[in-house]
Amino acid sequence: MLQKWMDEDKRMSANEAVELFVSDGDSMVIANCLYGTPYALLHEVIRQHKKDLTVFQQGGIDELDQLLLGKCVSKLAVAYNFRVAGERIETVLERALRAGEVELEDYSNYTLLTMLQAGAMGYPFLPVMSGIRESDVYRVERAFKGQKFGEVECPFTGEKVAVVRGRNPDVAVLHVQRADKFGNAQLWGALINSKWACLASDKVIVSCEHIVDSDTITRTPHLTLVPGFRVCAVVEEPWGAHPSELLGFYDYDMPFRALFFMQTMSEEGGKAWMDEWIYGLDDRRVYLQHYCDRLGLDYLEELKARPFPSIPADYGCTGRGAWDEEDMSFNFQMKYDQFIQAMEEKGGFVDG
Amino acid sequence: MVRYTESEIIVANAAREIVDGDIVVIGQGIPMAAGVLAKATHAPNCIILTEAGLVGIDPFRNPLHIADPTCTHGYAYSCDMIDVFATIVNRGLVDVTFLGVGQIDRYGNMNSTVFGDYDDFHMRMMGAGGAPEFFGYARKAVLTMRGGRFVEKLDYVSSPGYLDGYDARERAGFPPGSGPKVLYSTRGVFRFEEESKEIYLDGLFPGHSREEVQAEVPWGLKVADELKTLPPPTLEEVDLIRHFAPEIAAGRRLQLELSLPIILEALTARSQEGNQ
Repeated sequence: MLQKWMDEDKRMSANEAVELFVSDGDSMVIANCLYGTPYALLHEVIRQHKKDLTVFQQGGIDELDQLLLGKCVSKLAVAYNFRVAGERIETVLERALRAGEVELEDYSNYTLLTMLQAGAMGYPFLPVMSGIRESDVYRVERAFKGQKFGEVECPFTGEKVAVVRGRNPDVAVLHVQRADKFGNAQLWGALINSKWACLASDKVIVSCEHIVDSDTITRTPHLTLVPGFRVCAVVEEPWGAHPSELLGFYDYDMPFRALFFMQTMSEEGGKAWMDEWIYGLDDRRVYLQHYCDRLGLDYLEELKARPFPSIPADYGCTGRGAWDEEDMSFNFQMKYDQFIQAMEEKGGFVDG
Repeated sequence: MVRYTESEIIVANAAREIVDGDIVVIGQGIPMAAGVLAKATHAPNCIILTEAGLVGIDPFRNPLHIADPTCTHGYAYSCDMIDVFATIVNRGLVDVTFLGVGQIDRYGNMNSTVFGDYDDFHMRMMGAGGAPEFFGYARKAVLTMRGGRFVEKLDYVSSPGYLDGYDARERAGFPPGSGPKVLYSTRGVFRFEEESKEIYLDGLFPGHSREEVQAEVPWGLKVADELKTLPPPTLEEVDLIRHFAPEIAAGRRLQLELSLPIILEALTARSQEGNQ
C-alpha cells in the first residue's frame, strides 16, 4: 500500500532528507530536468555516496554526469542527455558505459514518461504511440530486458498497441519555488516530467526556494504540483536548482556549466570538479559561499530574475454559507430554529 | 549582395516551410531560429510549442534549451510533456516538426542515439528525446543538417522515416501522409520521391555543386530533373536572425571560438580575485 505522509512539519536539512529517504539500491527519478533541476538534493545524494541507484532521467544537461562521476548509478533509463563535446572527446556517460559501471536503457521522452504516468495512476501498463515499434528504441533492450515494451490487443477494435510497464520509483527528488511545511509544493514554468515523476514515486523529497505559510498555498492551489500527503521531506534551499534556472528567482548559469564541461573532458578534471564543488562542501550554503569566494558575488547577482508577476486568479464567490449572520438560510428562507422546528413537524427526526 | 552564413541560409529556407496558422513543434538550435523567423515574418499566427509543456511561446532570444526563461516570458498554455505528446501530437494536431539530423538513410530514417555498434559504440549522441513521436505523428517533418551524415545503413534507428520506402510507413500504421518532407543541409535542399519515398537532391544553395553533395552520400543520389538554385536569405531575414540568435547565425564552431575565451577569461579573472 502506498504510504501517506501526514507529519504536520516535514522541514529538515537536505542532509537529513537524503539520509532518511534515499537508500543504496533505490530507484530514483529526477523530477524535472532542464528547468529547476534539483541540484542541491542530487549533490547531497552524491555526497552521501548513495550506490547502485536505478535512475529515471528524462533529459539531462549535466546532472546525470555528476551522478555518474559520483558512482551512484548502476542502471539508467534515459531519453536524452545533452552533449557538448565533439566526437573525439569521451563524455562522462561514455566513460561509465565503457567501464561497465552502468547499464543503460534508451527510451524516447514519451515512452519513458508514460511508464511513470502509468505508475502514478496505479496501472500495470499504458499504451504509447505504436509507431515506436518500428524503431530500435523498441527493439534494443539492455538494462530493462524483457520489461521494456510490450504489445496488447485492444479488446474493442482488435488493434495491436504498444505498451510500457508502469513504474513506481522509490523516490523522486524535486525542486520548486515554494512549499509549506506540510509539503504542498508549488512549481510554475516548464512542468516537463515533474508531476508524473512525483506522483509515480513512493516518496517525494521536495526542496524549495522558500517555505511559505499554508495560506499562500490554499489561495493559489492551481500552482500546487504535488500535495503534501505525498511528500516525505521539505528542505528550504535557496539557489537549490543552481546552475539551472527557476522562474522568479534566477537564470541558468552558463559559464559555470561551461566550466563543468571543460573540466570533465578528462577523468582527472572530473574528479577535481567533484572534489571542489560537491565532496569538499558540506551543504548548499557552503556551496554558495564557495561560489562567491571563487567567482564573485556579483556573478550570482547577475543571474537574479527581474520580476514578471503572474496576474492573481480571483477565487472569489458570494461566500454565502448555509446560515447567514442573522441565522437565516437563503435556500429555505427561514431561521435556524424555524428549520429545526420544521424538521420536527415534518417527521424528519428518527426516534432512538 | 547580402552576406550570409551557412546557418543563416538554412534557417531562412527552413522558415518558409511554416505556413501561417500552423502548429509547430520545435527544439533548440537552428529549428527554433527558423520558427521564430517565420513568426516574425510570414506566419505571425503560427503556434510554437516545445515538449517541455510550453505552448504558444514567443522567445525573446534564442533559447539555450526548450524550457529556458526565454521561452516562458508569456505563453498561452502551461501543460506538461504527457499533455503535449498525448493530446497534441497523438491527436494529429502538429502541422510541422523540425528535427536535426545525426545519421540519415535514403528513406529518411534517422539515428540520434549512437554511432557505431550499440554496445561497442564509437560515440553516444544525445538520444531519441522527443524525435520518434514528433517524426512519427506530425503532418510534416522538416530536417536540418549541419555536421550530420548520410549512411547506407543506420547504426541505430531512433526515428523511423519511410522505413523501406514506398508504402511501408503507412502499412506500419503511421498517419497517412506523415513523414519527412524536406531536408536542408549546408549545401542545398533534398526532398522525397512521391512514390518510392527515396531522398533526392532538389536544389542547391548558391556556390555549391551536385558533385560536392554526391561526395557525401554513399549511394548514387537521385537528382531532380530541373535542379533549382535556392535564393539566399534577404537582408531582413539575416537581420532578424542575427538579432534573435547571433549564436545560431555564427554556427557552433565560430560561436565557441568567439565566446569561450570570454568565459574562460571571466572565470580566471574572477577566481584570481576570489583567491586574494
